[in-house]
Amino acid sequence: MTIKPTQFEVHPSSGVPIYLQIIEQINAMIAGGYLGAGDMLPSVRQMATELGVNPMTISKAYSKLEADEVVGRVRGKGMQVQKSAHSGNLKERMQELKPLMDQAIVRGRQLGLNDAQIQSVVKKLLREYKS
Amino acid sequence: MNTTIIQATNLQKQFKDNPVLTGLDLKVESGQVVGLLGTNGSGKSTLIKCVLGLLKPTSGTSTVFNEKSWDLSATAKSRLGYVSQEFALLPWMTVKGMTEYTGAFYEHWDYAYVTRLMKEWNLDEKQRVGALSVGQRQKLAVIMALGHHPELLVLDEPVASLDPVARRQFLQSLIEFTEDEENTILFSTHITSDLERVASHVVFLEEGKIGFSGELDSLKHQVKRIRISAETDLPLSLNIPGTLRSQVDGKHALLAVKNFRPEFMESFTKELNATFTVEDLNLEEIFLELSGVSTHSEAEVIL
Repeated sequence: MTIKPTQFEVHPSSGVPIYLQIIEQINAMIAGGYLGAGDMLPSVRQMATELGVNPMTISKAYSKLEADEVVGRVRGKGMQVQKSAHSGNLKERMQELKPLMDQAIVRGRQLGLNDAQIQSVVKKLLREYKS
Repeated sequence: MNTTIIQATNLQKQFKDNPVLTGLDLKVESGQVVGLLGTNGSGKSTLIKCVLGLLKPTSGTSTVFNEKSWDLSATAKSRLGYVSQEFALLPWMTVKGMTEYTGAFYEHWDYAYVTRLMKEWNLDEKQRVGALSVGQRQKLAVIMALGHHPELLVLDEPVASLDPVARRQFLQSLIEFTEDEENTILFSTHITSDLERVASHVVFLEEGKIGFSGELDSLKHQVKRIRISAETDLPLSLNIPGTLRSQVDGKHALLAVKNFRPEFMESFTKELNATFTVEDLNLEEIFLELSGVSTHSEAEVIL
């Protein structure tokens, strides 16, 4: 399967560099099961034209994903998804998740939810994303 | 692989007693798409004109394709395309006549490509140039700068008069242009959202010098807004290196820094018994912070 460039959503004027947005979306697609080992990414040219961004930005995103061994270059075919998108040891990976959870918890408190209610939202989401 | 396309060293340009460029160093390499930003009157057009040899610098040197800007050979000129703010068009000619007239100056003019661009951009070949709107004239000027397939494209505010549809078409043609990885673009603009799509590098002009020059992505990684909250009142002066703006209001502070380092902020706020949040900034906000013109009028600017 080759995923289509239209599946991606870039916001050039957000503070997050475009290449990071693409990396995050590919990682999220892999984590969510939309992309699996063996799937192909669109070509740099297709992505650049469709999303209206500099081709180098796409190349940069792909190269970083390649360096993280998330995707691999297949000669004459393009970029292929290798495996699940995590790198670093367990502690580092958990550390990376913290600020995101932080935001969610703060928002939960603002909405007047208690700990059990926040946890139940998380559990429900985890079931939807069964690994 | 990366060859130097444009190089300016200690470039100075003075109009009578008004210094515009005050010792500017710039290097643009092949394959880069460089967005030139700066407030009005910061010297963007002057820089472009000095680099292209349309203005003679007061001192310093500038080269394009390793040739002195002031004495560019015909070969070097045929390798570059330029759209100025005050492009000269002949009003009595038709659009087609105008492009053919321009094409006659070039050894390799791609008529098919020009015709295709005119179709894509909805320009009527038979119309007289004088009857075109400002935006249509700007499209025509850009097409004429692309017709000979230059390796370097220099654009001085190319999209100022274009509507959103035409701007997007223009960006698409720039993206097409950059598909050849050796092609280089230098363009000045005020529309930061366009720049964010296509630029790989950004150059900020500040009082005739380079305020920042580097990759757009690293600029976004470095310039951040930081909010600090503490249990007790914060010192009035936080003395954080690289502060662009600092506002301390009791237990809270709002900062903008130009070289954000998470580890430093971590230990800094720990000492103050405070916590901090980091806000990512888009190019427009970065532009405002770097120019010292933030939304808060009482902002204290420390450089």
